[in-house]
Amino acid sequence: MSRGQRLLLVAVAALALAVVLTLTVWEPSDGADDLPSAVIGDAMSFSLRSTEGPVQLSDFRGDVVLVYFGYTACPDVCPTSLAAITAGLDRLTAAERERVTVVFISVDPARDTPTRLTEYAGFFAPEVLGVTGTAAEVKVVADHFGVFYRRRELPGSAGGYAMDHTALTYVVDPVGKLAARLDHGAPADVIAAAIRRQLEPPPKDLL
Amino acid sequence: MNPTSLARGLAALLALALAFPAAASTPDAAPITVKDARVRLLPPSAPNTGAFMVIENRGEADVKLVKADNPVSKATELHTHIDDNGVKKMRQVPFIAVPAGGQAVLAPGGLHVMLIGLERPLRDGETIPLTLTFDDGTVLTVEAPVRKPVAPMREGK
Repeated sequence: MSRGQRLLLVAVAALALAVVLTLTVWEPSDGADDLPSAVIGDAMSFSLRSTEGPVQLSDFRGDVVLVYFGYTACPDVCPTSLAAITAGLDRLTAAERERVTVVFISVDPARDTPTRLTEYAGFFAPEVLGVTGTAAEVKVVADHFGVFYRRRELPGSAGGYAMDHTALTYVVDPVGKLAARLDHGAPADVIAAAIRRQLEPPPKDLL
Repeated sequence: MNPTSLARGLAALLALALAFPAAASTPDAAPITVKDARVRLLPPSAPNTGAFMVIENRGEADVKLVKADNPVSKATELHTHIDDNGVKKMRQVPFIAVPAGGQAVLAPGGLHVMLIGLERPLRDGETIPLTLTFDDGTVLTVEAPVRKPVAPMREGK
């Protein structure tokens, strides 16, 4: 075997290993739904729709934006997260609160119309905007945030299907960069502190 | 007794039965009690909601909650949530076990009674009768107040 052949063999083996790893680690399955890690610091943009028309992340430049992926037929996890976010907003001063937008992105566009989303989101706080798009548009945005979701049929359930979904809250800073991810169940104080961290100008000696 | 007073008497009996839900259970059944029952108030556009509670079993035999009913949604089911590395997965469960001398906690993020296909929007503060059927034959009806979702108090998953 020549040196070239050996190199080729090593390269093929490495490629095969990479393919196997990709399939076993990234393929979402019941056993290992490993969450792809979001790219912190990556600038991002998206285009979805609310009842008011197209919505882009750049519309909120200058604001701290909290992004949450869910669906309105979700009776527990999404309302818990939105209630926590609302309680977090309540801990801010009026001036701080003016600079915060919450975007609730539905991963269930088949059932969640913009009208339904607007009503749902507004129930929690006026800062919450309910948006969605086509299945393809939602997928692009979710991928951008590293959010996993999947329609899961519930045989025998009157609910028809559930959406498995990442239940993290993403904090986007005023220049549009992903600054933090908050766990589901993060208390209001943690959420308020995460918002304030992005509102405060950084100390001068760090610039 | 004239028909009016008969009707009043029946109404009083009915009110009494509603006021003491435990009286509806079978006399010989395990002493199962329910506390902190509540139904989540959600936006009128939400098709479903959840109910939470703590079920206590002071008896000597394990029991299972096998069925729940209510008059305001098309279906009532038992569900749970699985947390898979930050991904929340809601699944229907066939029963909720309540161990002898123990309790089952139905709380946000885990086990809950799911009210599917609400026939009307619920109002803050109204009470919804939840009828719970256990595998030992116990049937309990608890009055669950409708409450706004509250933010979690502690760090959790």
